[in-house]
Amino acid sequence: MRTGQIIKKDFRKNWFAYVLAVPVIVWFVVFCYGPMWGLLIAFKDFKPLLGFANSDWVGLKHFVDFFQGPYFWRVVKNTLLLNVWGLAFGFTAPIILALMLNEIRDGKFKKVVQTVTYMPHFISLVVVCGMIHIFTADEGVITQLVQLITGKEYTSLLGYSSFFRPIYTFSDIWQTIGWSSIIYLAAMSSIDSTLYEAADIDGIGRLKKMWHITLPQISPVIIILFIFAVGGIMASSYEKIILLYNPLTYDRADVIASYVYRRGLREASLSYSTAVGLVSSLVNFALLWVTNRIASRKSDVSLW
Amino acid sequence: MGTTTKRLLNLLLVSVVAGSTLAACSNNNNEPKESADPAATTESSDAPAETAAFSDISTTIRGNKAPTQEQMDEVNNTLNDTYLGDLYDEKIPSHYDAYPYKKDTTLDIWLPADSQIPEMNNQVVQKQVEKLTGIKVNFITPPVGQEADAFTLMMSSGELPDIVIEPERYPGGLEAGVKDGAYLDLTDYMDKYAPNYSEWRNSDETRRKTTVTDSGKLLGFYGIAPYSEWMWFGMLIKKEALEKTGLEVPNTIDEWHTFLTKAKEVGYSEPLNYGSTYGQIFTGIINGAYGVWDWTFMDADGKVQWGPAQPKAKDYLATMQQWNKEGLLNKDWATADFNQRMASAISDKTAVMMDSPDTMWSYWKQQNNIDFVGALNPVLNAGDKSATTYKNFKRTGRSAAITTQADDVEAAMRWLDFAYSKKGWEILNYGEYGKVHLVDETGKPYFQPDSYIYKDPDGQPVATTLVKYRMHSWPDIRDEHNSNPLIVAEGSYSGDIRKTWTENMDTSVAMPPITFTTEEASREAELGNQLSTLRNEYFAKIVKGQLPVDAYDKFLSEAKKMGLDEFLSIHQAALDRYNAR
Repeated sequence: MRTGQIIKKDFRKNWFAYVLAVPVIVWFVVFCYGPMWGLLIAFKDFKPLLGFANSDWVGLKHFVDFFQGPYFWRVVKNTLLLNVWGLAFGFTAPIILALMLNEIRDGKFKKVVQTVTYMPHFISLVVVCGMIHIFTADEGVITQLVQLITGKEYTSLLGYSSFFRPIYTFSDIWQTIGWSSIIYLAAMSSIDSTLYEAADIDGIGRLKKMWHITLPQISPVIIILFIFAVGGIMASSYEKIILLYNPLTYDRADVIASYVYRRGLREASLSYSTAVGLVSSLVNFALLWVTNRIASRKSDVSLW
Repeated sequence: MGTTTKRLLNLLLVSVVAGSTLAACSNNNNEPKESADPAATTESSDAPAETAAFSDISTTIRGNKAPTQEQMDEVNNTLNDTYLGDLYDEKIPSHYDAYPYKKDTTLDIWLPADSQIPEMNNQVVQKQVEKLTGIKVNFITPPVGQEADAFTLMMSSGELPDIVIEPERYPGGLEAGVKDGAYLDLTDYMDKYAPNYSEWRNSDETRRKTTVTDSGKLLGFYGIAPYSEWMWFGMLIKKEALEKTGLEVPNTIDEWHTFLTKAKEVGYSEPLNYGSTYGQIFTGIINGAYGVWDWTFMDADGKVQWGPAQPKAKDYLATMQQWNKEGLLNKDWATADFNQRMASAISDKTAVMMDSPDTMWSYWKQQNNIDFVGALNPVLNAGDKSATTYKNFKRTGRSAAITTQADDVEAAMRWLDFAYSKKGWEILNYGEYGKVHLVDETGKPYFQPDSYIYKDPDGQPVATTLVKYRMHSWPDIRDEHNSNPLIVAEGSYSGDIRKTWTENMDTSVAMPPITFTTEEASREAELGNQLSTLRNEYFAKIVKGQLPVDAYDKFLSEAKKMGLDEFLSIHQAALDRYNAR
């Protein structure tokens, strides 16, 4: 009874705030919780034109199909490895760029560098992949560079599976580094300048200031973004993969998303794709939870 | 129950009743709906002497090289077909009594567009068909290159048009589409609403057999040719390369090797363009010499076999690996797309293409004045007969199906049926009379030298006008050999090459167009997908030299583990049913 009374009192007092919250709640129910019923088609042989009710229940058939499929381990391994590459290089690159930009005193030069690194973000993915195709062709710039460094003869680099992960990851870095560094630069601008002044008085060098002041100050942002990145480890977009891969590179390039694209969208097995999507989401959620746990234990920074 | 609740309930009830009455009213405003059961509707009288209504105009049209406006109007705007000759073994039907159609309808038609004609609704031939049939159409075309995704999304949305062109895109094929409630089973409507199509498909045993399901159902309208079309894909050599090397057109694999090596010596740095958008390296041309066909084929005992699992596969792969190492193949064969291939085709690097003579006549001869000759598929030993898995079973062009959401099934069928009438055949294959084609003394349509096909007012090349002023691939009676401008254009020899190929190659290994049951289809698609991924990957890597030839053993054992035997037995069962049709 007491809680009820408290709520009633609060409602009378702050009713307008409750009204303001209604649209958000409705939005969540309609767009986030409502569609969750759709997950049930993972356990059915869903045919859109027969409708949900008339499609047959098949239990765990699609899950078993996925786990027992001949390419299961390969696509899981490729997805994980591609994302680990992404975490190792793609995640750290913008931090390093932001640290370096932060040290630049010349405003004009800084602005030019920032603009140049942002620009690729606005290029369509299809165009980016077209550029990659040209640069890595038989007589492309990158191919020639690789030949110069390794001293070996190569034809189109996209024809070698060993080059797939580097090409994928580093083209990604090229495209996103400027854009991703913005958030770190913003975090750095809010660092209390008295810290740097105190360090100056103590006669501490630039590298040490970076290491002992800047990095620790932006570490909450880094940790939060890292948790998010780990939470997306099972999900990689298929667009870039299918624009770049070919039979010669399947063994390293074929990931869960591209595999599901071929089966789900091309062959319209909507139930199968939903089942795989569900598995990926569960794994992602588990990873997110574990990373968050570790982060909160070690550093007090966490999502919840 | 409280009064308020009662009142609310009453209000609800009243509004529901009112709503349904309104709906019923709006239904009544429409024309009386055609009953779904064809037996229930009364047959609109099938006039036996329908052409008798037209006056015979063959004397003025046949052989006329400069028709007057009046004559053009008569041919283009009426259904009079008396001037058209009977050119094939079987007579093309002319049932026109349903046109113009009895009521005003607009059909929604989904189709993958030709990249040259992005806006189908302005296509001149379709405008003319609309005028003659009295049935309006609205074409829905997905963005070029995204057809597969767009098709899946359309099916998933549950909102279907009246007619779908290329309905076999439905996973599991037409039969699955009917079972899942996407398409209509047209078996009971055919005789009634599609007299031309029915008569034409029954005019010949092959036509009948390839347009009916194993269980005897008629599910769609198929493109049906008047004859078995010539094969359209093979080895094409630049004439200049033959002159420079001083060699004859090669035939055996050894001769090919000698020729390509010599071609490289005289300056063609990547003599054989090996890749192909028609299935990467698996074009069934060189591998056919080893019996290692691309996919399924029929062996001498009439059993289905899988090409990549044949005994001489290792020989084939070893040879290709060797050729690749010697630099006889284009370097980018695994990654090149159509435009890149055509760019290297016209460059000095390439001496030999594996492609369609029609395509190469346009790219090589017409646009770049490069002459070429065709070669039969290579053989292993001198004296062997060249073979191919391609055989045209008089089925051609595209198919069409009518969806369960079609408002007026009769209109949809009448519109499709027009393409199988004599007038439909003339207009769809040869376009408009006067501007695009004339008719010769025997009643055979032809493109005159100043036809829009060759002299487009907009200045576009024949590769474009052939889809702009006529229908190239359509559910109709396609007259490929006489109405494909790339073949019949003055000086074109692509038709001769295709004819020679067809007449001199053994097609006993070719599979007929079999169909799978719904249950088979999903398993067949799954296995087929896995097997093709496996084959593409291993074969490409071996030829490229990234894997040794012995990796083939691992490939074969993996293919068996995946279910190759099950895959073959599904095909065998389908073939047996086809033979029993």
